[in-house]
Amino acid sequence: MISKEGLWIVAEFEGTRIAPVTLQLLTKARAIAGSRPVAAVLMETPEADGEETLAQYGPDEIIVLQAEGFKDASDRALAAQLTQLIQAHQPNAVLFGATPAGRSLAPRVQDQLATGLTADCLDFYYEENELVQVKPSYGDNVMCEIVCPDRRPQMASVRPNTFAAQKAQGAARIERVPVSLTPDDSCVVQHTALKIAATTSLSGARKIIALGRGANKDAVVAGARQLAEKLGASVGVSRPLTDRPDFTAEQQIGQSGVTVSPDLILNLGVSGAVQYQVGMSGSKLVISANRDPKAPIMAQSDYTWTGDAGALVAALQELL
Amino acid sequence: MKIVVCIKQVPGSNRVKFDPITHNLVREGLAGRMNPFDENAIEAAVRLREQVGGEVILLSMGPDATKETLHDGLAMGADAAYLLSARAFAGSDTLATGYILAQAIRQIGGVDLTLFGRQAVDADTGQVGPIVATELDLPQATFASKIQPLAAGRLAVERDLGAVTQTVQLTLPAVVTVRAEANRPRYESPIAIQQSLHKPLTTWTDQDLTLDASRIGQAGSPTVVRKVFAPTPPTRAAKPLPEDPKAAAKALLDILQAQGLL
Repeated sequence: MISKEGLWIVAEFEGTRIAPVTLQLLTKARAIAGSRPVAAVLMETPEADGEETLAQYGPDEIIVLQAEGFKDASDRALAAQLTQLIQAHQPNAVLFGATPAGRSLAPRVQDQLATGLTADCLDFYYEENELVQVKPSYGDNVMCEIVCPDRRPQMASVRPNTFAAQKAQGAARIERVPVSLTPDDSCVVQHTALKIAATTSLSGARKIIALGRGANKDAVVAGARQLAEKLGASVGVSRPLTDRPDFTAEQQIGQSGVTVSPDLILNLGVSGAVQYQVGMSGSKLVISANRDPKAPIMAQSDYTWTGDAGALVAALQELL
Repeated sequence: MKIVVCIKQVPGSNRVKFDPITHNLVREGLAGRMNPFDENAIEAAVRLREQVGGEVILLSMGPDATKETLHDGLAMGADAAYLLSARAFAGSDTLATGYILAQAIRQIGGVDLTLFGRQAVDADTGQVGPIVATELDLPQATFASKIQPLAAGRLAVERDLGAVTQTVQLTLPAVVTVRAEANRPRYESPIAIQQSLHKPLTTWTDQDLTLDASRIGQAGSPTVVRKVFAPTPPTRAAKPLPEDPKAAAKALLDILQAQGLL
């Protein structure tokens, strides 16, 4: 039996594996659910086996819908399935990753259910039975608390890499739901190409060297790249450096870029605008070098060094 | 091809300020501008019209000042514009806004393609496009980075979905949301600006549309913003490393070593 009043996570695939944001959401959901059952909703092809991965992150239930048609299913077809499932089992809340796929699917479900949907949340928690959704606005310069008092389910999409995924004990109950999927001739996938996305490598990176305006010199960039190679780190940038031909918005940390949560971030010449801080606040160890000891990034760092980023890069290169 | 482009006027800057007493956003002094992604949507529409013929109609909901943004869109090459403006629309969230826009698109009639920018840069939701598509029971292609007209009322749309790029064949009528990568919006020439002043701009209120009063404005909006505040990320220890670059580099590597990061 699928429980009522559950906290549901709509699982997403990235290629053939479960997307990291799904696992991050499961961990967060378990932490805030209280007595509510946490369920992962999995729409997959019969040959896929997403439930095995999901089970390791401790949901109480995994609701599995399998059909050949889930390969390349249109947003409209997926939304119809999900809407039906939600109407039948009345979860308290339904969460999606704020990925392009999640952001395309969630509002279609929202409209069919005539309920609220908060986009791109950075935090959420329960107050009694109300899910308080915290989302940024105006380019992360403002935070809003949004609630949906009168309608259910409460729905939100959550920004990837905002929470850390942690494996958890516990046997998930698998609930298989029969599916009848009508093919949608109005939107037919012709071709899918997996991108070798810099975004993916940066968002999943365990170590990051981040460059800002104070490191905007070819020699410093080259030195930082060598350093990154030696440390096994990815290179990210703050917004001003996306104007350089050798960086794009895909390497940008923060709003309209990538949210990161590495074990180490070394900020070189990054001043730390609010949108940048929000984008890296989940990092475990933050070390920052900046010419200005009062730069906002400094108070967000575990260790600081005041001086020219290039000088520190050179000194590090000598030692490594 | 009859194309509607839904556009939004957003604050000219994201550097918003708070009233220290009411904690409300201070909106005064913020000139409005067109949401940048909507410029890509208009450009995509104008290019499609250049390729296959038809007309480009702009649609926006907002206060009277939104007319300026609609005029900008007309100067970019759109043929006509509609402004949806009424006290009854105030407080509409994405669900209510999507419903009102969908009813206006129905009223315009015979629309083959509705375009949106991928999201608006103020609230960054990107929800209204898919909501409108659902209201009108239409297929959608979100996050489009390429739009190509095909024969027999179809479009080939390349969707940039982050980890994958997907090409879909879309049967019209349909809704497409457009990424910045799709094109470079054209410059508004002085002649185009001059001509835009003579293009039709119609204002519709709630009285001009067929609307369920329980689905518009605050009544039709399930979400409530209960608090707005400036983000304050928790501060960290900010322990200074030694002043000398070499000593600092040494200390830094020692820290990484101690934490198993080398």
